[in-house]
Amino acid sequence: MTEAAPVVACVACGRAIDCCEFCDRPDCSTAICYRCVAVALRQATRDLHDHGG
Amino acid sequence: MYDYVAGKLDWLAAGGPIEGTDAATPRAGDVARGDVPTCGLDERLGEVQERTRPAGFDACVVVNQERVVLGLLRAKELDGDPASRIEAAMRPGPSTFRPHVRIQEMAHHMVDHDLENSPITTSDGRLVGLLRRDDALRVAHGRHQAEGDAT
Repeated sequence: MTEAAPVVACVACGRAIDCCEFCDRPDCSTAICYRCVAVALRQATRDLHDHGG
Repeated sequence: MYDYVAGKLDWLAAGGPIEGTDAATPRAGDVARGDVPTCGLDERLGEVQERTRPAGFDACVVVNQERVVLGLLRAKELDGDPASRIEAAMRPGPSTFRPHVRIQEMAHHMVDHDLENSPITTSDGRLVGLLRRDDALRVAHGRHQAEGDAT
């Protein structure tokens, strides 16, 4: 029988994740998901906008 | 005129030159240490230990021949059995950050998450350098003071 991966909730959006995407720790008290850390650091935009052309 | 199809964010993430009012803001890629020790998957931990700490680092980045980051040896992993292969000792697929992230934001998050160092890579995973928390804090603090002096 395999042990289930620990699940924590992203502090920003509440999504269940295995570990914090910023520090890689499963026991991080401020765990954040990949999408939220990318948005927080402006590595990505939250919503893509449409260009006219 | 040149049309960079992948978009502005990808240009920034690749460490491309920027201009404009915010161009002088220090960023992760400016502060990251490009001389961080690197190693390959087939090496033994003992060989890596011998060159990492004498170089003043407590982390080593595992890369392939194209300098794409495969893993990270932080202080805990570096203290492992010298006979072990890097592939077995490393922390695979570490979180990496792009060169254009503002140093103040990186410093803030590194303190918040108690993270000593973070690999900085381009969007295609190539190593730019290792950002150390002390360096990030020093530069972010200097920037904060400079902004205070200017007002």
